[in-house]
Amino acid sequence: MTEALRISSLAFMDTIFYPDMEVQPGEIVFLLGASGSGKSSLLRLINGTISPSGGSVFYNGKDILDYDPLHLRSEIILVGQSAYLFPGTVRENFLQYHQYRESVPPDEETMGACLAACRVPFSPDMSCDTLSGGEKQRVFLSVALSFRPKVFLLDEPTSALDRPTAEELMKNLTEYCRSGKIAAVIVSHDRHLIDMFADRTLDLGGAAS
Amino acid sequence: MTGAAAIGIQRFLVIYLLLLVVLALMKRSKISQTKLLLTASLRMTVQLVIAGFLLTYIFENPHPLFTAAYLFAMMGFAVHRVLSKNRDLNTGFKISIGLSLSFSGLAVLVYFVAAVVNQSLFNPQYVIPLSGMIFGNAMTGVSLGVKSFRENTASAKERMEALLNFGVSPKNILLPFVNQALETAILPTLNSMVGMGIVSLPGMMTGQILSGTLPTTAILYQISIMVAICTVVCLSVFGSLHFGYHTLYNKRSQFCRLGGLLTGTGCGDEKSGAGTGREK
Repeated sequence: MTEALRISSLAFMDTIFYPDMEVQPGEIVFLLGASGSGKSSLLRLINGTISPSGGSVFYNGKDILDYDPLHLRSEIILVGQSAYLFPGTVRENFLQYHQYRESVPPDEETMGACLAACRVPFSPDMSCDTLSGGEKQRVFLSVALSFRPKVFLLDEPTSALDRPTAEELMKNLTEYCRSGKIAAVIVSHDRHLIDMFADRTLDLGGAAS
Repeated sequence: MTGAAAIGIQRFLVIYLLLLVVLALMKRSKISQTKLLLTASLRMTVQLVIAGFLLTYIFENPHPLFTAAYLFAMMGFAVHRVLSKNRDLNTGFKISIGLSLSFSGLAVLVYFVAAVVNQSLFNPQYVIPLSGMIFGNAMTGVSLGVKSFRENTASAKERMEALLNFGVSPKNILLPFVNQALETAILPTLNSMVGMGIVSLPGMMTGQILSGTLPTTAILYQISIMVAICTVVCLSVFGSLHFGYHTLYNKRSQFCRLGGLLTGTGCGDEKSGAGTGREK
């Protein structure tokens, strides 16, 4: 079976040099490392929003430079550290993000399933203006999930959540990824979550000099 | 109707006394811009005196070269003023601003002088004052538009990053900011059109009436120049931003830096080194 992701001799700005790695479909890989070790940059290099100074990233056996960048990012979804939601309701956020991406917005059932998977306990008609940081993070993840990614890149997805909610969320997300053969690369500092859900970990070590 | 009453030098100097009022109020309000007030007043006086002598000479010795030189000097100054406030923009964006401002101004000026006033394109009496108003307003409009675009994109980094990560094209991400900046830039002109004739008698009309032109003729000029200003502001801001924003991302749909405001790396004229990475 072709690996979902492979990185080879990858370097960023000639200061961060990544170890080679492969991620299989449905595999959950956690990234570890000190601040400045290049964890977030690696996620951005994988979905092509920044370019490496050397080396390559392969998606389904093909160099990502051979993909149309927007098509690549529509399959390799990166959920960054800051959760941005448009003013308005949760439903309007789904619509607005899909409108920007020129994709068909999810139906009520799919929207409900995405919200449930991300442990969002309220109605899609709830205004996002009054949500807490953790609630915003989960709604943002639900929107990302509604894009039906083939590879999911998550940058500290539980940083604003309490332990029980974080565990529930990670349980749902990892089950979703494993059952859908979706490769996931997750940055986290939470040892407890890593021990519970990681198939494999990759330690990027200390900060780049 | 008679021409404007001549002002003697001594009477003219009396107007500067009003600046003492400004100075006193600035001191009282602890606004430490005394130096700027003095510099601005001095520069304005010197520049206008030179312009007065220069225009007198050009009007007495009309020559197409003089008119063209004055026109291009104004155009160059307008472009320079906008770019000097945006030194850190990339070269492509600067070229977009320069060309849009110049061509929009020239097109509207030619249309105004040839089609409305029906005068020679080298008649200094018409071309110089009209181009001053046209390029001056275009300069203000473009400055405002670019400032608004930069401020709005700077404060929306999270939104832009989220959209880019989700596979939205940089074009779709940036266009709403372009449209918003265009609206911000043309609103002052539209508002001044709304209040014109009621709240204020504009400078051009006032000048014409003082110099003896019939108010009915003066209003025709004023209406025409306002429409021309509205058009040139709209055209120059639209051109600057629409051609300019394409320079903010590369063919891999990655954002370039806009004076450090956009977060991405990867465009050719960056120093970060990321853009020197391999590309196909």
